[in-house]
Amino acid sequence: MKTIYKKLLFSLFLLPLTVFAQSNFNGTVVDKGTSQPLPGVNVQVLGTKNSAVTDFDGAFKFTNVKAGSKVVFSYVGYENVTVTYSGQNDMKITMEESSSKLSEVVIQVGYGTAKKKDLTGATTTITAKEFNKGAIITTENLLTGRVAGLSVNTGGAPGSGSEIRIRGGASLFGSNSPLIVIDGLPIANDSGTGSVNFLATLNPATIETFTVLKDASSTAIYGARAANGVIIITTKKGGKNLSVEYNVQYGQGDVVKTVDVFGADAFREQITARQPNLVSRLGNTNTDWQRAIYQKTDFVDNSLSLRGNLFGFIPSRLTLGKTYQEGLRLTNTFARNTVGVALNPSFLNNHLKIKLNANYGNENNRFADGVEGNAIRFDPTQPVYDGSSPYGGFFEYFDRNDNNRLLALTPRNPVAQLLQTVDTGYSNRLFGNFEVDYKFHFLPSLRAIVNVGFDETWGQRTRNAGRFAATAGGNNNIPFGTSEFNSTYRKNALFDGYLAYNKTFGKLNFDATAGYSFQKFEGRGFSTGNRFDPTSAALDTPLFDSVILSYFARTNFSYNDKYIFTLTARRESSSKFDPDSRTGIFPAAGFAWKLKEEFFKENKTISDLKLRLGYGVSGQQDVGNNNDYIQQFGLGNVNSQYIIGNTAVPIGIPQRFSQGLTWEKTTTYNAAVDYGLFNNRINGTVEAFYKESSDLLAVVPSADGSNFSNRGFRNIGAFTTKGLEFTINADIIKGDKLNWNVNFNVTSFKREITQLGNVPFFQLGDNIAGTGTQAQVFQIGWAPYSYALFKQLYDASGQPVAGAFADLNGDNVINANDKYLFRNPDPKAIIGFSSNFNYKNFDLFFNLRANIGSRLFNAVNANRAQWSQLTTGVVPQNIPTSVLESNFEIQNNQSVLSDYFVENGSFLRMDNVTLGYTFPKWLEGKASLRMFTGVQNAFIITKYSGLDPEIGNNGVDNTIYPRQRQVLVGANIKF
Amino acid sequence: MKNLQRLFLLFLFAITIQSCEKELDIEVNDPRILTDDEFFSTPQGYLQALAGVYGNLSLTGKDGAGSSFLEGIDAGTSQFGRCLWYLQNLTTDEVIWSYENDEGVAELQRNTWTASNPILLGMYSRTMVGVAIANNFLRQSTPDKLASRGITNPTDVANIATYRNEVRAVRAYYYYVMMDLFGKAPFVTEANSVSADGVEYNRRQLFDFVESEMLAILPNLVAARANQYGRLDKAFAWAVLAKIYLNAEVYVGAPKYTECMTMCQNIINGGFALKTNYLDNFKADNNTSTELIFTLQSDGVKTQNFGATTVLINGQVGSVEGNGVALYGVPGWGGALRLRRQFVEKWTGSEFDFDSRKTIVGAGRTLDIANVGIQAQGFVLGKWSNRTSTGAAGVNSTFVDTDFPLFRRADFNLMYAEAQMRKDGATNANNNANANATSLGYVNALRERANDGNFANITANQLTLSYLLDERSRELHWEAHRRQDLIRFGRYSGGTYNWAWKGNVPFGGSIDGFRNLFPVPSGSLSANPNLTQNPGY
Repeated sequence: MKTIYKKLLFSLFLLPLTVFAQSNFNGTVVDKGTSQPLPGVNVQVLGTKNSAVTDFDGAFKFTNVKAGSKVVFSYVGYENVTVTYSGQNDMKITMEESSSKLSEVVIQVGYGTAKKKDLTGATTTITAKEFNKGAIITTENLLTGRVAGLSVNTGGAPGSGSEIRIRGGASLFGSNSPLIVIDGLPIANDSGTGSVNFLATLNPATIETFTVLKDASSTAIYGARAANGVIIITTKKGGKNLSVEYNVQYGQGDVVKTVDVFGADAFREQITARQPNLVSRLGNTNTDWQRAIYQKTDFVDNSLSLRGNLFGFIPSRLTLGKTYQEGLRLTNTFARNTVGVALNPSFLNNHLKIKLNANYGNENNRFADGVEGNAIRFDPTQPVYDGSSPYGGFFEYFDRNDNNRLLALTPRNPVAQLLQTVDTGYSNRLFGNFEVDYKFHFLPSLRAIVNVGFDETWGQRTRNAGRFAATAGGNNNIPFGTSEFNSTYRKNALFDGYLAYNKTFGKLNFDATAGYSFQKFEGRGFSTGNRFDPTSAALDTPLFDSVILSYFARTNFSYNDKYIFTLTARRESSSKFDPDSRTGIFPAAGFAWKLKEEFFKENKTISDLKLRLGYGVSGQQDVGNNNDYIQQFGLGNVNSQYIIGNTAVPIGIPQRFSQGLTWEKTTTYNAAVDYGLFNNRINGTVEAFYKESSDLLAVVPSADGSNFSNRGFRNIGAFTTKGLEFTINADIIKGDKLNWNVNFNVTSFKREITQLGNVPFFQLGDNIAGTGTQAQVFQIGWAPYSYALFKQLYDASGQPVAGAFADLNGDNVINANDKYLFRNPDPKAIIGFSSNFNYKNFDLFFNLRANIGSRLFNAVNANRAQWSQLTTGVVPQNIPTSVLESNFEIQNNQSVLSDYFVENGSFLRMDNVTLGYTFPKWLEGKASLRMFTGVQNAFIITKYSGLDPEIGNNGVDNTIYPRQRQVLVGANIKF
Repeated sequence: MKNLQRLFLLFLFAITIQSCEKELDIEVNDPRILTDDEFFSTPQGYLQALAGVYGNLSLTGKDGAGSSFLEGIDAGTSQFGRCLWYLQNLTTDEVIWSYENDEGVAELQRNTWTASNPILLGMYSRTMVGVAIANNFLRQSTPDKLASRGITNPTDVANIATYRNEVRAVRAYYYYVMMDLFGKAPFVTEANSVSADGVEYNRRQLFDFVESEMLAILPNLVAARANQYGRLDKAFAWAVLAKIYLNAEVYVGAPKYTECMTMCQNIINGGFALKTNYLDNFKADNNTSTELIFTLQSDGVKTQNFGATTVLINGQVGSVEGNGVALYGVPGWGGALRLRRQFVEKWTGSEFDFDSRKTIVGAGRTLDIANVGIQAQGFVLGKWSNRTSTGAAGVNSTFVDTDFPLFRRADFNLMYAEAQMRKDGATNANNNANANATSLGYVNALRERANDGNFANITANQLTLSYLLDERSRELHWEAHRRQDLIRFGRYSGGTYNWAWKGNVPFGGSIDGFRNLFPVPSGSLSANPNLTQNPGY
């Protein structure tokens, strides 16, 4: 709570800033539909050189405007507005979107921009005003559920990262995460030590647009890393007029649901009946361990943005952010401080444009162990605290007669584990880019652009627990404490240089871009191991450098503004592969036909109709090692030595290596129709795609006895994805006082493995219970991660028969040969729906997401819900009450892999609902104030019996960090 | 001027691109990752490579117990000694594993395994990766290579020549294991390339290779008990030869008992004295035991692995007793390993009252295991320990200090007797008591040691082949010999001898003859087109 007061104090300091908003002729430009301010509107006093651009809040100001002057407001995508100046002040200009110009929205396409109307590829842009609202800590949540084909699954930990997938990804064994490009800098998709998530250091308040490139005809310009799609993030630019925006938000969260286990009384009954010899081990309290490990949380988010013309000629932006979020698990916190700077000066009559973006982020985390498993199983009749316990006053199972030795095969107090472990880390990150864009004086249709990017992260993490913590490191069940230190440093440097040419020859418009890109990733790390443990070893962990070197080119031909062709190619070399096979060429072609212009030019109903076709090849280079092609020797660490005579000798082992590896390739075919009706009040896209990923880098069995492992990388597998996407945006009501706008999107895709080399199947997934009990496979003809399980038998009443499985191959033995393939975690449809409703000064926003048809494996039940699990062998332990339904007795490798545990994971979830009210003329019109309240993670409707059907982890639910439900209040203040 | 500017820009561009092409050949900046020539630039490199060849018998990877050279399989589940022990012991009457939720275990101990069993994959791949590592050593240590790397000191050259012979012996041992368990193997030597698919050798071919290879290198191996700890000597080759000769009727259908007796005699005369206290061979300081011919190393700090001895010692701690720390220096795994009735019954009678080999604990337990998942059923064993012969606990309770005896002198006493009896006409069918005095003496030597006196000695009339089989179990139980012995005596497959849970029947049932050999793991089979599956799978 202390932090909140600090924030409120801070906001008071801002009040004096209101004195800035004084001028001769000033006003605000707002969108007619949404009443939102419009930044970047051109304002020109006709017949003079007097012009201005509206700032972030749609505000403009002039001095020396003569009465009677005509002032023109123009903005891309909107109808021009002309007003006559007659001494008005604080004028409110309302601009309306023009359907015909909507498609002139400019979109980032990688090494340049394109007009939306000229696009041929599958690309979706989401701009700031369309972003999700609510408690958004990690940037990608701004567009969760908003883009067809894009799924974002964010974990429950504060600041947690997300599993981001575009059209289901394109790899089996490699990464399925899209390439993320921030202001032209592709970043690495992994977080360093001390950080919770590689996007966590990016303040969501600095983001201007996201552009999601989905098919290869649009991603091929990013070549070999773009098979999983690309998300281009553009940060806000500097502004010419001084403006100040301050946003503050407070939230309080709590746990929504816990796993149903026996309460103390019911547990006592079960132990008495089923494990009578353990009755003496029962306690006499009533503890809900799953509630005990969680806390109510605070969330405070502050963001201050200043824009103005620095020294009169550098449009600048400064954004400061401070975020604090507590996690549900006791002690878990995430704190972030960010500074973002953007400078956008132009020189030489706009021939030379410079963009500098610099972002600094500092994360401070206190991590909390995943103790859900122990909380589920801990005896509910035992107390959290025990005054006589030598373990910090926490209840633990130990032997007072034997040095307080902890009992083997007993769980450790999960509350104590959280409170007695101090696991903290920080991560500092500096990233940004410097771009010089020069339009040649002697040839203005040609520009040369150089973009230099950098991204440096250094972080560390320490984990300490005293010797009175039962969960600290120990020997023979006597703790000696934990003291660990880890650090990493990473660097990513980029150089891009390219030329862009644009010229119109009669009906033919031609533009071309060609250039060169060099990027290098470096890093190193260090870890001490547990310094209290005499048997552990400190370790230097150099990360292998990796280098990518590319040449790229793209041309667009547009004829008669009806037919558009795009051709793209990228030639890319990666240090990860053999010199002979490290270079790949990734081509793409796109075609668009503006049917509206061709057939419906005069039609009033159809305001836009465009057919798009795309084809392209993109790649992926994500193999385990960065130098798998070189034959190398590895030396054993201190724990991997062989003793010869009296000397321990680190073992020298030839490393497995794989020659001739090359890029994974994904070929995409895309066909789409963009439509707009009724002046584009209804618009959207219907899109169909077919992807074939081939030469997949799979770790496959290699002939035993030859290479130095049983498996090695080979370009061997293939799978296909076919899907449909449908998007509709509709201004259902559009008026002066009442506006209602909705977005609805549906994605459906199906994945099927078509090739796995000589391997019949791959066994995959988490261990469900014992070692090697994996529930999933890759198998030809099936979706990735299909379940391979035993078929549970049921009695006449529909009750499962414990331990009885179908002998599917009829050999009278139930063994691994009786497993069958059964469903998969892919949803049949992913649906997103968002609604923006405005009435006068009220606004109401909500967004809904649904997954239909996914199947989850409930490993929480498979691993625990058997009667035999009521004892650890030494003490009683709790189990899920779902055992009352299944009545399963025994846990073995068959019973845990029963198809009984596969459940329907369909759900409908409301991520956020926000109600706001705007005081447009706050402080005598000097500022505007919007106050709002909302609920994050408002509700979920599902048949899934576990905590939450949004699992990630390829559908295997092995306990998760639960997502909290938060009640939010906040304010947006603009000057 | 403008042209000059343009030229300059172009020039700058070209320079940048040129210098960057080279960056694609990245250099490895990890001091623990080296190229061939860097690694083998000194004799120390060869010593480390030798440690790597031996290390594959104990370790699973280069970064401690959780790491592995193998993929797609748990590190612990692919430790050489542990896999060997699972296949040779867990599939027999001696022991059962409680946690059948560990994939593959239930199928092994119930004799219903398939080619997709992960433990079979661990055994097969671990053994063959050992062959690959050995072959690489042989490729890198030829006289030409040494000369080209400037290793010319005669002592170094001689040492490395000795290493080579030891490496060949280790490789021959691996092929012996393949021959015994799978009856076939992909055959790869240093003459093959790293990308070659090995051709399939059948049992006969493997037998011939192991025999000729061991005989060829024997003269050049270090004399018995004369090498450093951790390295093998002549006795290792004798031991492997004795094993293949004793089982030659199984492997190649031809008796080789005379040859077996010669090899056993070599070992018996080789200076491997029986340890006075039987159990000292299974304690944390058993690296000092004179009786052990070759061991699989384990050390709480330096040689950490989830291998055989770590599993045995933790596994044998009973859930009812919970006395692991006090007795064995480890907390234990809650009764993971228990004894089947048929093993316990081998100790019935007062003659075993003082036998130090009988470490069975039965108080508060049932003899029968009606439900494999209930740890209180079935008796437990106390043979192994992570405490030293003086009672000090090992340095680490997670990883034990106790080595696993791969070959132990006592075994060869019994093997000598068996070979002699079989040579002189005893067969599995006719159970003649035809041991000669030497054989009887060798058998009784073990009983005298176990009983600290000769009161429990047996007479020549008692010593039949059946008796010898039981005696082998009493002396060598849980030491990875049982399956091989039962097969040699015709009591493994079929229904002649049934034990609890054999054939997935609580009181024991018959199993098919094809289960005398394990299947080639499906992944390994698919990866090498030269391989064929064993019949029945």
